[in-house]
Amino acid sequence: MTSIGTGYDLSVSTYSPDGRVFQVEYAQKAVDNSGTAIGLRVKDGVVLAVEKIKHSRLLVPQSNRRIMTAGKHIGVASAGWMSDTRHLVKRARDEAHNYHSVYKADIPAKIIAERMGMYVQAYTLYSSVRPFGVSTILACVDKDGPQLYMVEPSGQFVGYRGCAAGKGKQVAKTEIEKLKLEELTVREAVKEAARIIYAAHDEAKDKLFELELSWVCAESGMLHAHVPQDVLADAIQHAERSLDEDDDDEMEDEDL
Amino acid sequence: MFRNQYDNDASTWSPQGCIFQVDYASEAVKQGTAVVGLKSKTHVVLVAVKRSPSELASYQKKIIRIDDHMGIAVAGLTSDARVLSNYLRTEAMRSKMVYGRALPVGRAVSAIGDKAQTNTQEYGRRPYGVGLLVIGHDDTGPHLYEFSPSGIVSEYYGYSIGARSQSARTNLERNFERFEELSLQELVVQGLRALRDTMPQGKQLDSMNTSIGFVGMDTKMTILDGDGTQPYLDQLDEAEAMDTE
Repeated sequence: MTSIGTGYDLSVSTYSPDGRVFQVEYAQKAVDNSGTAIGLRVKDGVVLAVEKIKHSRLLVPQSNRRIMTAGKHIGVASAGWMSDTRHLVKRARDEAHNYHSVYKADIPAKIIAERMGMYVQAYTLYSSVRPFGVSTILACVDKDGPQLYMVEPSGQFVGYRGCAAGKGKQVAKTEIEKLKLEELTVREAVKEAARIIYAAHDEAKDKLFELELSWVCAESGMLHAHVPQDVLADAIQHAERSLDEDDDDEMEDEDL
Repeated sequence: MFRNQYDNDASTWSPQGCIFQVDYASEAVKQGTAVVGLKSKTHVVLVAVKRSPSELASYQKKIIRIDDHMGIAVAGLTSDARVLSNYLRTEAMRSKMVYGRALPVGRAVSAIGDKAQTNTQEYGRRPYGVGLLVIGHDDTGPHLYEFSPSGIVSEYYGYSIGARSQSARTNLERNFERFEELSLQELVVQGLRALRDTMPQGKQLDSMNTSIGFVGMDTKMTILDGDGTQPYLDQLDEAEAMDTE
């Protein structure tokens, strides 16, 4: 274990001598133990993808969603504890609804990101509560165009062109950095997102998993929706083919 | 798991990124007797083993009716189960009063999931020490959900919780692809077969310790105990006998 606080890590209202709040870092561990979630902001929309690790074949496919909707036009993908996610999404929905009652307009992405960030941060202030064990990725298209934000357990929220959280985030980030995001369309991004999730998935550790894919773009009427079945099937095919090609490349290297 | 400094309350993360109090609450679920749930295209069924504290005492109720279209089976702290089932009943009633329709099952389980989650985040509260299998039938068909103390709810084709439930889950995993087309009778017997795998050596399922519940299209939530379970137990014996031949 790299960071064990020894005495300064029992409560979120305690700093360690070197200025760290260990309880928040431990909450981040919960995120790092979960299936990968990524977001891609491209030319004409935003795409979210989640590696849903299944612990049993008995689970009903396409249920137990990890990507949820807030305010119709905002997609929320998460890595970490699902029950904490639902708490946050409930809050996000209230915030979106509240904004709409006051301003009679859809809540802009940076406002919802800020509100979520502040809410998560509030749970890192008091010893009577614990930090949320989730990183939430918010996807939205507002008047400033496609937007992508990630809110971490510390309450920090940052805007991204591409982001990843969870077990496979290192692999995912490397792959995302190779993409030219400003030039991709959502149709292409959906395939790339699927490929990246499959690449980040560790076959040895978690055999069963399901890909969950969603977007906010013109095709979905600028609302957040899970991608249609044919798009999903297409993306999965693309991802599986790329994996096979990678395996073939490795074999060629061995021959040399 | 053993005593450590991170397990005192639900508002403390451990260095490995888990909350021990929630894990311990899940242990309480494993102390309860097994319950099995499974669904077909039209119906969803619960079967449970009941326990009695002594020869003179009655058997603890395991399956509770929430509404005409919904029921739950419990494993763990029964008093916590009562609190949750009362809450579900109130919500089900509220849905009928306010919206004039039966409470959608998915929403019901999300509601108790959220309720349980707040108990895992605040100081001075403990997680619920009970796991539930929630069955129901609504406009989207028959459903089976598992609710756990962490507040996580998942939907299944078939599942089992409680003591020695892994044996039942293994049985279900081997057979679940056939459940779709089964009749209600066959589904109950299938559930009993899985349940039987959880019984310890020397113990049998009989009409005293078995409870059966089911709901579905055109079938209101029904719970069978005592003599009502005998026909199904007889069918179970027949099916097992056929297998060994």
